[in-house]
Amino acid sequence: MKAIAINKQKKVSLGQSIILLLLSIWALTTIYPIIWVVLNSFKDRRFILSNSFALPLGEIFTLDNYRLAFERVDILNAYKNSLLISTSVAAVVILLAGLAAYVLARYEFRLKKLLYNLVIAGMMFPVFSTIIPVFQMQYSWGIVNTSNLFLSLLSTALPQIAGNLSFAIVVLMGYIKSIPIELEESAYIEGCNIFQIFFKVIVPLTKPSFATVAIFSFLWSYNDLFTQMFFLRTKTQWAITFLLNQLTSQEGTNYGLMAAAVTLVVIPILIVYIFLQKYIIKGMISGAIKG
Amino acid sequence: MTSHIYKNKKLIIFFLAPAFLFILVFLYYPFIKNIFNSFQEISGLGSASKGWADPWYSNYTMLLKDTNMWVAFRNTLIMLVVTVFGQVGIALLLALLTDRITYGAKFFRIVYFFPIVISATALGLLFNLIFLYDKGMINQIREIFGAAALVDFKSKGIALFTMMAPVMWQYVGFYFIILVTGLNNISSDLYEAAAIDGATSYQQVKFISLPLLRNVTCTCIVLAVTGALKVFDLPWTMFPKGLPNGETWLTGTYMYYQVFNVNDVDYSSAIGVVIVILGVLLSKLVNTIFKEKEF
Amino acid sequence: MKKLFALMLVFTMVISMAACTKKEESAGSGEETKTEAKKVTLNTTTTYAGNDGNAQNFQDAVAAWESESGNKVNDSSSTSDETFKARVLADFETGSEPDVLFFFNGVDSNPLVEAGKVVSIEEIRKEFPDYASNMKDGMMGASPVDGKNYSVPVNGYWEGMFVNKEVCEAAGVEIPGPDTTWDEFLETCQKIKDAGYAPIAASLATVPHYWFEFSIYNYLTPATHNVLPGSVSDEHGTAWVNGLNDIKDLYERGFFPENTLTGTDDETVQMFIDNKAAFLIDGSWKVGGIEELTSNIDNFTVTYVPGNNDRKTTDIIGGLSSGYYITKKAWDDPDKRAAAVDFVSYMTTDELVSKFAEVSATALKNGSQVDESKLTSLAKDGLKLVQGATGMAGAVQDQIPAESRVPIFDGMPNLVTGKSDIKESVQEVLDSLSK
Repeated sequence: MKAIAINKQKKVSLGQSIILLLLSIWALTTIYPIIWVVLNSFKDRRFILSNSFALPLGEIFTLDNYRLAFERVDILNAYKNSLLISTSVAAVVILLAGLAAYVLARYEFRLKKLLYNLVIAGMMFPVFSTIIPVFQMQYSWGIVNTSNLFLSLLSTALPQIAGNLSFAIVVLMGYIKSIPIELEESAYIEGCNIFQIFFKVIVPLTKPSFATVAIFSFLWSYNDLFTQMFFLRTKTQWAITFLLNQLTSQEGTNYGLMAAAVTLVVIPILIVYIFLQKYIIKGMISGAIKG
Repeated sequence: MTSHIYKNKKLIIFFLAPAFLFILVFLYYPFIKNIFNSFQEISGLGSASKGWADPWYSNYTMLLKDTNMWVAFRNTLIMLVVTVFGQVGIALLLALLTDRITYGAKFFRIVYFFPIVISATALGLLFNLIFLYDKGMINQIREIFGAAALVDFKSKGIALFTMMAPVMWQYVGFYFIILVTGLNNISSDLYEAAAIDGATSYQQVKFISLPLLRNVTCTCIVLAVTGALKVFDLPWTMFPKGLPNGETWLTGTYMYYQVFNVNDVDYSSAIGVVIVILGVLLSKLVNTIFKEKEF
Repeated sequence: MKKLFALMLVFTMVISMAACTKKEESAGSGEETKTEAKKVTLNTTTTYAGNDGNAQNFQDAVAAWESESGNKVNDSSSTSDETFKARVLADFETGSEPDVLFFFNGVDSNPLVEAGKVVSIEEIRKEFPDYASNMKDGMMGASPVDGKNYSVPVNGYWEGMFVNKEVCEAAGVEIPGPDTTWDEFLETCQKIKDAGYAPIAASLATVPHYWFEFSIYNYLTPATHNVLPGSVSDEHGTAWVNGLNDIKDLYERGFFPENTLTGTDDETVQMFIDNKAAFLIDGSWKVGGIEELTSNIDNFTVTYVPGNNDRKTTDIIGGLSSGYYITKKAWDDPDKRAAAVDFVSYMTTDELVSKFAEVSATALKNGSQVDESKLTSLAKDGLKLVQGATGMAGAVQDQIPAESRVPIFDGMPNLVTGKSDIKESVQEVLDSLSK
């Protein structure tokens, strides 16, 4: 593989540079906003609207936004709650969605069309039309509006899991359909049952797909302000997105604090994403197939 | 089609049950209530129903007569075309290009992810400042190049463009990552073999990448179609309440407006039902188109 | 009945605002209840959270009450927005409501009162005669459902016209004062416009609320402002139509910013801050907002909205829009009843209310005591505005549920551009109200 890569590069170096140029142009548009947010987080709120494209230097510069964020609220505790909720959401989603997607992608059975349509429709249910019944239901189970931290986190995670399952099933089905069926057949001949096929063939083959779906589930759960608003009540239960929204959602929106809040919310996600990148790179796959 | 190994269906219930149990309990049970609500009269999310609507289907007749709703449908259809070709198209191009380069692929994968993680409020503010009427970024740049009059990017005529460009831009990264993952699922053995046989890069893309990516692309288009129907946050921060003069309503923003600004929960439920029905129909259409192309 | 009530409200309010005496009076209630032994945990929900200026005050007060009474407080306060309102209503719907709630007393509270989930002050006083005795009954913010008091208010609001002094100076116009008439105001605006500034910063597309309030106020009086029209052609209906026509007139004269139909409120407020617009009608909360946004607070002042017809320029809009409720659930719980009453009494003593209210309105019999030396020039101007008021009416829009406001609020751009008829739109509002 390496040999080919080198070979390729030599042959089409002109093409390569054009490609790099194109990719870089798009990259500029995506990098700029994050730089803009970070820069503005170091500006005094008075200058954000009038000087939003300037560098935070001189009298514009301030660390107040961060000082305020750390002073007013318990950020570390909120990170912990967010991580607990979102990692469990991501883990449960990829497991359950993986199982379901595998069967929906590979089997033919009577209810398949119906189930697929249920999944598609489920993707579009607006959360504000489902939240009230969910709230009532979870209240009757006694896990809502208690002072117990773990019950509250659970009551937030459960609807989020359901909300992400549809998306995850649709995406994983697309990936599983794309892998050649021969590998599963040879595993079957070696005497594997379908559980073994799933865990020993499908999962290793589509590891990057699972990582991608996990990232998006994590991300959506992490950023889902609306569900957090309903189920996380007392200060010790707050998750990061809710907490920072509490700081910034008042009259005369404090854009400096908002930029600082966004920076604080985004950094952990980027770390998680960069960490998971290694599962989304080539090479692992060929190993899985050969091994 | 089905492989012989998947003839025995006894165990599949164990694969399907957990996921569908979640979906039924947390999505379908509430949504059936939502359908029920669309025939009731409820003002205020969280309030009890005041009884049946009179006549019971009145929300649906109202929906047909509501000019804002038709504007929303029209805009959403435009949005749909923009998403499918703009978002998935650009994402596919970027993904294929990233797959062909030797250096920097990892870098691009990270930076293309950025727009997805920044909250819509922050992006909304950024784009508002870029498109701002007085002393916005673009108007300032235009001034430097000698333009005399300011352009109001939120006025009738270009409002739709101002709204859709950022949405398009934001979600390219999302589809990009899904597609790149799909490309990575393709065994490099195939490319090696093709290269040995003397296939050019273009041929490798045409005969290996694209066909093997077909399922994932189809997935992306289904997601884009359903996404367009419910897109909400960025348009709402930039164009609250269908600004200007209700020109920029989308089905997603209009439903939100009905819930939280008008407090007409029953009517919004009816809109929700219509959105879901449309979404299922459109995704079926996408799937049929892709199936036909198979042969 | 309504008229009488409004009259009473105006009277008491103005008196209370003018008299900022420093008299101390014990808060009274609560004392006798403290002896009851059983310690409880109260669940509370308020809007004193996050960036609210009083969030810290509230937390301190809660901690002080906890140590004084020995009870515990389980607080789930959150900043107020539409989701918060939905959450509170959902809580009541499922029976998981808090024991004490700090919430709006306008139409937003109707579901709670209609379902009998909150206890009226009248009923509480049967057992605790001193409950809220330091407040004026006529100002506590009676429920729109039955006219009874359910909540004990803390800090209120007023609405006035903020002025950018630099713009006025550059345009060579006087800052409007207590005697400025509507016609003089129109002339002033014309001069400002001719000088190349926007006279009025307002986003008619997103926040036409303040202009709606004052322009119809100009055809009514403090005593009659809060009466909803019975029909388009009666006294109040005519006032509404005339008032909306005035907004249309201002729009046609070009007194609003060029992007008033496309820009958001944030954008037009920023114009005002950036010395591009002269006037901004907004509420007392904007004092803090402007303090945050500008680096030169002395460039701003606040004055009366020029009056027309029977409304004096010094008649203002204001009132108390939220208060502490004790829920039926807590009231029926023998352990919690006294604790809840004690908690609310504690949070609404003269001392604490003054601390929370600062320059905004209160319902205290003795008036609020503010330390003026700590205020900015703008806040002092605000205090003067309230003290010099000759009459006050609550915002009439608080009596209109959100769904009924749509034709004239969200429809404002259509009204001023002539796309829809003003009379018909008012009729639509009334039709929706009578449903």
